[in-house]
Amino acid sequence: MFTKVKPWLYLLPALIIYLTVICFPSLYSLYLSFFEWNGVAPDRKFVGLDNYVYLFTKDTVFPTALSNNLQWMLGSLVLMMGLGLALALMLNKRLKGRTWFRGIFYFPYVLSGIVVAMVWTWMYNPTQGFFNKVLELVGLESWTQAWLAEPKFALYAVFLAALWQGVGQPLVLFIAGLSSIPDDPYEAAFIDGASKFQSFYYITLPLLRETFVIVVATTMIGAMKVYDIVYAMTGGGPAESTQVLSSLMYYQTFRYANIGIGSAISWVLVLIVMIVLIPYVYYTTKRSHV
Amino acid sequence: MELRISSTRKVVHYAVLIILAILFLLPLVFIFFTAVKSNADLASKPIYAFPAKIHWENFVKAWDQGKMSMYMKNTLFICLVKVPLGILIEALAAFALTRLKFRWSIPMFSFFLIGMMIPMQATLVPLNMLLNAIHLKGTYPGIFLIYLGFGIPFGIMILRGFFRTIPKELDEAALIDGCSDMGKFLRIILPLSMPAIATLIIFDFMATWNEFLLAQIFISDQSMRTITLGLLAFRGDWSTDYTLMSAAVLISVLPVMIVYLLFQKYFVNGLAGSVKG
Repeated sequence: MFTKVKPWLYLLPALIIYLTVICFPSLYSLYLSFFEWNGVAPDRKFVGLDNYVYLFTKDTVFPTALSNNLQWMLGSLVLMMGLGLALALMLNKRLKGRTWFRGIFYFPYVLSGIVVAMVWTWMYNPTQGFFNKVLELVGLESWTQAWLAEPKFALYAVFLAALWQGVGQPLVLFIAGLSSIPDDPYEAAFIDGASKFQSFYYITLPLLRETFVIVVATTMIGAMKVYDIVYAMTGGGPAESTQVLSSLMYYQTFRYANIGIGSAISWVLVLIVMIVLIPYVYYTTKRSHV
Repeated sequence: MELRISSTRKVVHYAVLIILAILFLLPLVFIFFTAVKSNADLASKPIYAFPAKIHWENFVKAWDQGKMSMYMKNTLFICLVKVPLGILIEALAAFALTRLKFRWSIPMFSFFLIGMMIPMQATLVPLNMLLNAIHLKGTYPGIFLIYLGFGIPFGIMILRGFFRTIPKELDEAALIDGCSDMGKFLRIILPLSMPAIATLIIFDFMATWNEFLLAQIFISDQSMRTITLGLLAFRGDWSTDYTLMSAAVLISVLPVMIVYLLFQKYFVNGLAGSVKG
């Protein structure tokens, strides 16, 4: 009898905290998303799915935020993953100073989003910032911009900072993936006269499949959850042009006290992340059984 | 992997890498330049100009007047409690999931993994209500509880992955020697898992040091502010002292950089380990 209870005892502290901090609160916010509530009033008005309907049909900022997240995701999948893979391929060779290069490309990843935001906001500063000063130096004054105050550029400017910060993660994952590929297939391909591109396409890419699965999943989820850097660089501005779901959720909930709307936004976020993660969790747990 | 690299290709290869590396380092170089300039120097000369004179006192000012010393102390305190406690709790759970006879081991593991799907945003309002209800709002125990919670899914995933690789024969040997389950956990599994635990310590330290959203919502007392909150306070509404701000940024980065440089190996192995699961 005791042996049956025993595993639960070991599991108990983690389980209690996990249920208290993550499970019940997230379900409760799903419940709250069906109400209209300002967070303090004693009565909440049940509105069913109205908050969700409002977000998708009437709200003016929500579509921008959702589209910004999707653009961010696309940008991350193409640029961040692409650059990560390219750098990993370059560093995979038995290259002198490889550890140094890897260290340099990875280090921004250990910084907080807030630090990255502060460094880059300063670089984008319209009067004294690095970008405009360099443009002036090379005679391109007409290109100078208030980068973060221009709705056309602001999101891309923030994304560039995030790219600098984030490229290290796919890089390290790809390096790990590449180093697990043995030499033999390349030697065989070389003897058979395969071109470099052919060995890459027919050997490297298929053997990196598992790495791609994890990189794509983490990149997509990272893109949906992006918050710190946007909040600290633009606060969703100018004119709400850089709002993302997380920052919109923050403003709706904690600034405008629209608890129902904020909760609905957070659950749209949960649903999108689930769409990405369910196949991934299924894939990894299935693999770990065997 | 490469069989032959011609020397011109090698030169191009290095050139590309070096240019990219310089581009990656530029932001830090300019933050450093800004941090050691006087305000007058900063205003009169372009940002990329070398500082006329090195003003180390900016760091002292950021540390004292800018209250960086307090922010660092607060954050370090949270790290020192949260990281070891979290790893202990996660290790106990991972032990049950891998080393004990447990029918629910796979469903429970999947259940913990679901936590990685939940963005923090979806928990903030109810957590706020909960902390109010149990009178832990704005207290360290409340903050520890919440920080611990969000570390659990990742911690269990990493530790479970590592525990599984420890040979089962050791368990049998321990059983023959009359070792209890707790003894097995403390004397065999934990010591053998030091590489995974080291990785987790570093990741967890970094995540806790850099945490922003939870701090923003759950820490309102100015004297409890963590680094990320404190750094934002360096930005004024209308004007910012950029030299001071840059000095503060560099101070805040230093501990993470030291940890990173000392344990770079673990960062890489840890991430790679999470791929293999």
